[in-house]
Amino acid sequence: MNKYLKALLFSLLALSLFVVAACGSDSEPAEETSDSEPVEETSEETGEEATAEETGELVVYSSRNENFVNALLEKFTKDTGIEVKPLHAGDNAVSRIKGEASNVQADVFISNDIGALENLRLEGLLEESSPEGIESIDEQYRADDNSWFALSARTRVLMYNKDLITEEEMPKSIKELTDPKWEGDFAITRGGNGGMIGHVSALRNEWGDEKTKEWIQDVKDNAGAILEGHGDIRRAVGAGEFTFGLVNNYYYHQQLQEPTDNNVGVIYPDQGEDEMGAVVNAAGVGLVKDAPNSQSAQVFLDWILQPENQREFSYESLEVPINPEIEAVEGAASISDYKTHDMPLSELGEVWEDTRELIEQAGLDLDL
Amino acid sequence: MSQHQGNDKNNRKPNQVGDNMSPTSRRFSIGNWFSSNKGSRPGGILFLLAALTGLLMSIPVFYVVWRSLFAGTDRWMRLLDSRIPQLIWNTISLTVMVTLFAVSIGVLLAWIVNRTSLPGRKMWQWLLALPLVIPPYVGAVTYIIVFGPRGWLWREWRESEWLLTTFGEYPINVYSFWGIFFILTLFTYPYVFLIASASLRKMNRNYEEVARSQGMTTSQIFWKVNIPFLRPAIGAGAILIALYVLSDFGAIAMMRYTTFTAAIYYQMGSYDNVSATVLSVVLIALTLIILWIESRTKKKQSYYQTSNTFKEPDILPLGKWKWPSFLFVCITFFFAIVLPIIVLVYWSFLGLQAGALDSRFWGYAWNSVKVSGMAALICMLLALPVVYLRSRYPSRVSAIIEKLSYAGYALPGVIVALGIIFIFNQYIPVLYNTFYLVAIAFVIRFLPQAMQSTDASLSLISPRIDEAARSLGQPPWKVMITVIIPSILPGILAGGALVFVSSIKELPATLLLRPPGFDTLAVRIWVETSEAIYYMAAPAALLIVIVSIIPLRYLLKKY
Repeated sequence: MNKYLKALLFSLLALSLFVVAACGSDSEPAEETSDSEPVEETSEETGEEATAEETGELVVYSSRNENFVNALLEKFTKDTGIEVKPLHAGDNAVSRIKGEASNVQADVFISNDIGALENLRLEGLLEESSPEGIESIDEQYRADDNSWFALSARTRVLMYNKDLITEEEMPKSIKELTDPKWEGDFAITRGGNGGMIGHVSALRNEWGDEKTKEWIQDVKDNAGAILEGHGDIRRAVGAGEFTFGLVNNYYYHQQLQEPTDNNVGVIYPDQGEDEMGAVVNAAGVGLVKDAPNSQSAQVFLDWILQPENQREFSYESLEVPINPEIEAVEGAASISDYKTHDMPLSELGEVWEDTRELIEQAGLDLDL
Repeated sequence: MSQHQGNDKNNRKPNQVGDNMSPTSRRFSIGNWFSSNKGSRPGGILFLLAALTGLLMSIPVFYVVWRSLFAGTDRWMRLLDSRIPQLIWNTISLTVMVTLFAVSIGVLLAWIVNRTSLPGRKMWQWLLALPLVIPPYVGAVTYIIVFGPRGWLWREWRESEWLLTTFGEYPINVYSFWGIFFILTLFTYPYVFLIASASLRKMNRNYEEVARSQGMTTSQIFWKVNIPFLRPAIGAGAILIALYVLSDFGAIAMMRYTTFTAAIYYQMGSYDNVSATVLSVVLIALTLIILWIESRTKKKQSYYQTSNTFKEPDILPLGKWKWPSFLFVCITFFFAIVLPIIVLVYWSFLGLQAGALDSRFWGYAWNSVKVSGMAALICMLLALPVVYLRSRYPSRVSAIIEKLSYAGYALPGVIVALGIIFIFNQYIPVLYNTFYLVAIAFVIRFLPQAMQSTDASLSLISPRIDEAARSLGQPPWKVMITVIIPSILPGILAGGALVFVSSIKELPATLLLRPPGFDTLAVRIWVETSEAIYYMAAPAALLIVIVSIIPLRYLLKKY
């Protein structure tokens, strides 16, 4: 019995040797950090990993709902044999890419929002590319250097519960959300949500900063709840917790597909003659600069632009493909059916940080 | 020679780290600095290993404090003005309320179960400790499923005319202070229950008999005799719970409440790590205040029992209180164990039908096991030198090394993760975004669990055994391997098991440090719950609960 125990212990020790080796290597520099000087000394190590070529691996950071992306990535692996390592980081993906600028981890960034992509490009964190089939995307929906391009569009809408309110009674414009009549009746997302930031940027473009700030303040106080994400809103509205909510249009289509709680309707706001039109945003893909698996990233960009994969990109989420030649999923509204706001999407990037700041100043917390 | 150097170097190091940085370190360096080795000096390698361990365990925390100094007055002022007051109020009110109620429930249950004629009292002694196997965030998931908006009860309520007319609209909002208060109280009281039970069983009957002979009633005896004797147990339980509430992330975030820990997590999410360090420093200060209060009150009061006339405590007949007490015990048990388990089993069953147990699920499970197993192994190895040094060569230095090793244990996982991100992203990029980081975070968080367990075993081995082995001409390392380790192996392994289970349950550090493509069971529970896909979350949660049963026997024995 003693022998058995010893053998077990010995194997444990042996197993952990390599771990200790790993730990041992960190002990030295880590120790030094407390002395605060040798910052430069250790930073030379940074570039070591970036030189690798074809690795058979692709690191994808995604700010989309992971259920929208996983099927697509699995198809990619099946088609090309390249193994995908996804990190579904939500809105944190952007900040994570920025934080890792000197130690790049991601190859490709799948963004739920064009503003985030353009913002990264402006900070020099994306790399120009010319993937095959890029012409199929309208120039309006890609970066000047093609470092990012949009694949699917969506619109900001008001989704309502038909049990609680009729279409006629619903507010028809975004401005009406500040009306005390709706106090406590509707839900919005937190300020840091990509869709929310894009929306506020469009309002700034239309109204100017002062008026937008007032709008945020009033809406924040008027809203019945400020929730983490749009998924929460659609479920809450569907279940009748709130009368309506400010969401992206595909959440409405998703709720329609639910087995229960699906008696919901949609309002495309601000459709009147002299009104601004509904705010549009898009999801897309960007190539990260100094990507560790740059070759795989290139393969991915070519692959995603193939028509069937473009369709796949908007399929799971019920969004509308940017490429007009790709047929939309049944049930999704076409972008030409309603009036849209005319701000070019790439402008979102320049004002991204300012908008975040404005939202925070107006008192709407970026995070819950 | 080398031994001497090692000694010198390490004598200086912790002090240096402490001097310029934090309130944490001040605590460590209070009092005069001397080493009372009394002739016997620890071997150089042993000392080096232990000292290095202590240092490594505390570096991330110190580094966070260090970085906060560079946050700039602007940021400090902005946070002090805007966020910190609200966060302090949220955090303290929750901590105080949960501690108060968990301690009350725990002590009351312990007293009822151990000292009264409750039906089935032997069985309740371990049944009531069972909630320990349910991590609070898993408990939170089950309560969201049942009581949450659009939950079971909400639907029942909507269907039922009777409920609507009598009570009006559905009144429960789980996403509130009371929701999180209820969850945390329910799943932390067993700590107090276990500790208080142990004290109550050891309590000498003589004192109560004296009190009774002086004409005191049972309730007077409870307050004047039992409670003072329970004071250390209550203190220990209260501090465990208070520290837990301060550090909890999963349950609190799921219930959409924001304390410091959650706020730090969200700040890091938006990569505002500098603001996160500022919030961390305030949280560290809160933790130290709690530790300080505990040590103060402990000093003021001391009660001693004599053991030479020990008599088993007697069992009080409950009389008319029998059924109310029984009901109380049953209700607690129902809400803390029966309901969550039923919900988990039911939704796991739904998940099973929907094919949740696919290869991906087992991939997550394997990731959990891999990273937790690695952490457990490292902890078993690292704990031994520190504990051995502390036990065989007690001195101020070895005490400090031991205390340093506790730095990550007392503090929330988010702070440890923050320190690790800083250090590895900047200085050791090769390891950044590998799963080793998660394992390292687990080691820093849970090493003291392995230390306590190893220490408990080692304290049963007389130093004379070491000396005897040494006198036979064996070098120290051989004594360690052939004599000490085999005899304390059960303790070491128990410590490893504890670390393993704690690691499997750990959420915030895993969320923050996991590399791309590396999800664990805990992460999946978090993700699926935030998407409200409960049938996918339940199987993972149930698996974690089952794994948590492993160290329960040990925990029950310990207290």
